[in-house]
Amino acid sequence: MMNDRSRDIGPFVPAPDDDMIVCRCEEITKGEIRRAVHDGMYTVTEIRRWLRAGMGLCQGQTCSKLVKGIAARELGISPALLEPASSRAPMRPTEMKVLGREEGACA
Amino acid sequence: MLRITEHPILGAPEKGRRVEFTFDGRTMSGCEGEPVAAALKAEGVMIHRYTSKRHEPRGIFCAIGRCTDCVMVVDGVPNIRTCVTPLHEGMDVRTQYGVTDRKDFGEEAR
Amino acid sequence: MKRYDLIVIGAGPSGLSAAAEAASKGLRTVVFDENERPGGQLFKQIHKFFGSKEHKAKVRGYNIGKQLLQEAADAGVDVVLNAPVEGLYPDHEVTVRIGDSLRHFKGDAVIAATGASENMAAFKGWTLPGVIGAGAAQTMMNLHGIKPGNKVVMLGSGNVGLVVSYQLLQAGVEVAAVVDALPHVGGYGVHAAKLARTGVPFYLSHTIVEAEGEDRVKGVTIAEIDNKFNFIPGTEKHFDADTICVAVGLSPMSQLLKMAECDVPDDPSKGGQAPRVGAFGETSVKGVFAAGDVSGIEEASSAMIEGRITGLAAAESLGFITKQELEAETAGLENQLASLRRGMFAPGNKGRKITETDEGIALSESLLTQGYVADDEIARFPGVTKQRGIHPVIECTQNIPCNPCQDACRKGCIRIGKDITSLPAVDTDSQCVGCGLCVAACSGQAVFLVDEDYEEGYASVTLPYEFLPLPETGARGTALDRSGAPVCEAEVVEIRTSPAFDHTNLLTMKVPADMAMTARFFRNQKTESEAC
Repeated sequence: MMNDRSRDIGPFVPAPDDDMIVCRCEEITKGEIRRAVHDGMYTVTEIRRWLRAGMGLCQGQTCSKLVKGIAARELGISPALLEPASSRAPMRPTEMKVLGREEGACA
Repeated sequence: MLRITEHPILGAPEKGRRVEFTFDGRTMSGCEGEPVAAALKAEGVMIHRYTSKRHEPRGIFCAIGRCTDCVMVVDGVPNIRTCVTPLHEGMDVRTQYGVTDRKDFGEEAR
Repeated sequence: MKRYDLIVIGAGPSGLSAAAEAASKGLRTVVFDENERPGGQLFKQIHKFFGSKEHKAKVRGYNIGKQLLQEAADAGVDVVLNAPVEGLYPDHEVTVRIGDSLRHFKGDAVIAATGASENMAAFKGWTLPGVIGAGAAQTMMNLHGIKPGNKVVMLGSGNVGLVVSYQLLQAGVEVAAVVDALPHVGGYGVHAAKLARTGVPFYLSHTIVEAEGEDRVKGVTIAEIDNKFNFIPGTEKHFDADTICVAVGLSPMSQLLKMAECDVPDDPSKGGQAPRVGAFGETSVKGVFAAGDVSGIEEASSAMIEGRITGLAAAESLGFITKQELEAETAGLENQLASLRRGMFAPGNKGRKITETDEGIALSESLLTQGYVADDEIARFPGVTKQRGIHPVIECTQNIPCNPCQDACRKGCIRIGKDITSLPAVDTDSQCVGCGLCVAACSGQAVFLVDEDYEEGYASVTLPYEFLPLPETGARGTALDRSGAPVCEAEVVEIRTSPAFDHTNLLTMKVPADMAMTARFFRNQKTESEAC
C-alpha cells in the first residue's frame, strides 16, 4: 500500500520547524525527511538509505519512531501501516577490531 | 552541588574512592567506578562533544549507553560512551569534536 | 561455541524470573545483559510496588531486585554482565560481545527479555545538553547518586513521568512543572496527587515550544495546544530550568526478535513493534520466547510473572517438565497476571475515556486535569468518611490493582474485598487504633490518619513523608492542601519511623479543626520561600 507511488501526496510545503534535528547521530532534519518523502522515499528503509537517518552510532534507537511518525504524517497514513526498518546485528556500536576478533572466524 | 549525600530512601550512596582524572587537561576528581559522565556532571561539565555537521553541543541524554550522545575521547579513543564507562584514576577525558579531540575538526574537511 | 539449555537475553525483572524458574527445573541457564549491573530498571525503582502480596506489593523495586538476584543465584543461573547481545538468529544462535571479542552461543531455547526503550519527543532545542530522558534522570540519581540538575521541567504525565518527578523531589531537585500534550494525566491519580500536594503544577494539553539556551538548557517555554496539536498563540509560559526530562512512553526493544525472523507486528496497544506471542510467551519461531516489556509495555510486576510463565514454558519445550506440570504451575501465575491486568489502567482500556469507577462513582475531573482531587469531590469516595476519633482517610479514587492497605489493617477498618481493583472503603464500625501501618503500606501514599477531635479547636493529620530533612517534633510550618497551596499554620506533633514502615515516615501535624479534610502536606518554616 505504501509502495503505491502513483498516489498523490501533494507538494512539499516548507514548515517553520524544518530545521529541527530529528536523527541526532547523523544530524538529519525534519525538513530533509519530509522532502525525502516528497522525492519518492515512501518507506523508512528508503529514507534511511538515502539520508542516513537512523544509520549513525545509535542505529536508530532514538529517532526511528520519530522518523516513522514524520513520514507517515507526510503520507497521510497511520505510522503502524508504515513498514519499519529492518534490524541487523550488531545491536550496539562495535569496533571493527571486535568484529575482527569474532570467535570461529579466525582461529 | 549535584552529589547526593543522604537520600531519604537509599541513604548515603555507596561510592568508590576519590580519584583524579583530567578533562581537557584540567584536573578533576570523581569516584572510582562511577560512569565518567556522572563524574563530569558532578563537576559541572555539561558539554561532552560538538557534532560533526552543525558543530552543536551535546551532553548526557539517555545515560544507559543507547543513544551515544555522550561520547567523548577517552584515553585517546574517540566515541567512548561516557555514561557506561567506569571512571579510573588518571583517565584522560577530552571533549570530542566530530570524531576527534581537535577543535578544528570539520574546518579541515571542508 | 558453547551450548546451553536456555539462553535468556536481559537480566531485568522478566529475564531473571524466567531464568530462575527454568534453572529450578534443571535447565542449564545463562543470562546475558549489556549492563554493568543486573536487575534492569528494578534498582532504579525506589518506590513501593502496587498489587497484592503475591505481586510483592508495598516492597520497593530495588529490594525486589535483590530478592530476584538471590533467587536466580540459588537456582544456579549464570548471569553474565557487560555482555551486549549483538545478534540473534532463527537457529537459536546468539552472538555476544564479551570484552574485546564477539562470542557465539547456542541455546536449545532462547528467551528474549530485552525490555523497552524510551520514546522521545522532538522540539526546538531538544538536542541541547540538559534535555534528557526520564530514565537518564532515574539512572543518575538512584544508581549513581548524582542529581541530573537543580530545576527540572517534566514532559509526560504517565506513570514514568510522575514517578520520576517524585524521585527528583526526593533527591532534592526542584520540579518546576509536569507538562503533557494529552488533556488528562496519563498515570495513576495517586502518583499525580503526591506530587501536586507538594506544590508541583500540572499543565495538561500543553507541550514544549522550545528548550532555551545557547549551549545548555537555561529555560523552557511551553504552550497550550489545540486538539490538532497546534500551539495556541498567547498561551506561552516560561520556566527557568536547567533540565528538561522527557517521559513520553516506552517502546518494546524487539530488534533482536526481528533479526531472528519472529513475526513482530506494529501494535499500538503494546507500545510499538512487539512479537506475536502465545499464552506462554512463545513467538512464531519455535524455541524462541519473549517476556516482559519486549512483548508489550506493562509494569515490572507483570513482567516478573510473564518471565516465570515463559521460563516454565521453555522447560516444557525441552522436556524438563510435562505439559500437565506446565499447565498446573502456570495456572496460579495466569491468575496473578489477570488480576494485574484489570482496572482503569488495564492494557485493554488504553485510549478509552473512563468517566466513572466500577462502583459507579464519578471520577475526579480535577485529578485528571490538575493532578489532585478537588475539595468538593473527595467526600464521594468510599475511603473518605467522617468519624469521631482517629480514623483512616483513603484518597484512592481510581480502580487500580492494589490492596496492601487492606492487609495492613489488623482492626478490619479497611475493606477492598475479593476484587483487587475495588476502591478501598473505610468501615466506620471498626475501631482504628492509629497504628499508621495503612499509611506506610499504601504504595500510592494516599492514606492519611485524621483525628478531628485531637484538641479543642484542632485536628491532627498524619501523612506519609519521604523527604529529607525530616522535620522534628515541635517544628512549625505551613500546611498545604491537595493542590499544594498553603492553607494554614501547622505544628508537627509526632514523627514516627519504623523498619516496618520501610522508609516511609509518618508525620503528624496539628492544624485548625476546619482544616482536617483540607491539609495534606507539611512544609517546614525554614524552607518556606513564599508568604502564607
